[in-house]
Amino acid sequence: MPATDYTYPSVYFAYLFFFLCFALAVYFCFRSRRDGYWGDEGEDAKFQVFQDDDPKRRTP
Amino acid sequence: MQPQFSKAEVTKVPEGALVHEDATAKWFLISSVAYFFIVGIIALIIAAKFVWPDLMGSMSWLTYGRLRPLHVNGMLFGWLLAADMGLAYYVIPRLCGVPLWSEKLGLATAALWNVIILGAVVTLMAGLNQGWEYAELPWYLDILVVVAWIMFGINVFMTVASRKHQAMYVTIWYTMGCILWTAFVYLTGNFATLFATGTNQANLNWMYVHNAVGLIFTPIGLGIAYYFIPRASNTPLHSHKLSMIGFWSLAFVYVWTGAHHMLHGPISQWLQTIAIAFSLMLLIPVWAVVYNLFATMKGQWHQLRESVPLKFLMSGVVFYLLTCFQGPMHSLRTVNAIVSKTDWIPGHAHMAVLGCFSFFAIAGTYFAMPKIMGKALHSQSLANWSYWMLMIGGLGFFTTLWLGGFWQGWQWNNVSIPFIDTVIALKPIWIVRFLSGIMMFTGIVFFAYNILATALGTHEEAAV
Repeated sequence: MPATDYTYPSVYFAYLFFFLCFALAVYFCFRSRRDGYWGDEGEDAKFQVFQDDDPKRRTP
Repeated sequence: MQPQFSKAEVTKVPEGALVHEDATAKWFLISSVAYFFIVGIIALIIAAKFVWPDLMGSMSWLTYGRLRPLHVNGMLFGWLLAADMGLAYYVIPRLCGVPLWSEKLGLATAALWNVIILGAVVTLMAGLNQGWEYAELPWYLDILVVVAWIMFGINVFMTVASRKHQAMYVTIWYTMGCILWTAFVYLTGNFATLFATGTNQANLNWMYVHNAVGLIFTPIGLGIAYYFIPRASNTPLHSHKLSMIGFWSLAFVYVWTGAHHMLHGPISQWLQTIAIAFSLMLLIPVWAVVYNLFATMKGQWHQLRESVPLKFLMSGVVFYLLTCFQGPMHSLRTVNAIVSKTDWIPGHAHMAVLGCFSFFAIAGTYFAMPKIMGKALHSQSLANWSYWMLMIGGLGFFTTLWLGGFWQGWQWNNVSIPFIDTVIALKPIWIVRFLSGIMMFTGIVFFAYNILATALGTHEEAAV
């Protein structure tokens, strides 16, 4: 293999990135459970769409 | 029919009310719409070159090899990602109940993004190209993209950190996911590939290409759909929990599908099988999203008659379902043996990027720009026309390329047919492709004119 071939470091660099991505996904998935997204109040967030307080669109 | 407000009522802000400046959103959207039009011209030239290969002679900077990457990068980064970023700048502060963390940083990001896109036009037409699908930009522009993305990420994350509501709506999840995933995906596709060789290099590139769609354009596009469908129909989302299932299943499944671009190629069979298995598992997040958005519209379908944004949004959802059914199916070895590398693939890719995610972005722009400017949309009629031109032209384009691709694949699998005969046989397909392209471009012109006239014109009619 030529001395300038960085194939393996590059592939492992990509694997490291995706492992970090996976680890963060696992952490935040469990964190979302702790934060109540799957509980009784898990549906409350969907009403935020209508709470944007935009003064340009207020009802007369 | 929504109530009309006079100009005085519109500009009079109640005391203590939150005011969104929206300057960043406005400039991202205006520039992205302008690039949509400009790069649409390039797309039309490319489609014409399929029918008349000698068109524009031998001028090097107007050859197919230079214009095609310009079309791909211009549409992906100049139009779609810029429009998505503009809509994120509009949506995130509203969902968080606070102003954008820094409009100055946002405007600097918009300026830098324009430098990148203009740089891409010059370099790609000059033939300065890294030679990798979706990663054609030279390394110095790649670095600027990374800088701009960090600026975008800081602004979004700081806005989310200062949010009024503890619980985050699914659009915020998707936007933050997109920012983090893009960092991983873009660095891998544009830097790690440069230092790899052979099959590993190709495999990394295809992992990037597929994740560019699946982990960049999909999450931010779905985030936009999840915001604008309830907002435009004035109907709450069917289920926030189901949207979370869609988000997390996307997060865990999507990243491993890229190798299906190398089926029957010189990579390990186990890697091909893993890519196929994960491609099939994509049906889980797709169905979670599609069911949720369709259930949201239950009893509200009549609104599509009056609302152009809803027309674009719900058509986009249908195209999302179709494209995400096609994807897993042509990841199967037997189907892939026919359609791989044929015209089927651009038909599929255009349905994803134009039919689905661009439709979401167009809908968001039609909804947001009048609010941002405090004006009514320049022309509802023109907006309707833009929808039908894009819809009919798009359908003609997609279906023609699927049929042509299958035909092409069957011919390629017959070794007794000379290759040049398969090229000649596809000419009728490419004529329909060009005619469909004219219709789609007309839709783009109507959309771009309507938005730019709303944003920059002197039309002072009261806002809706």
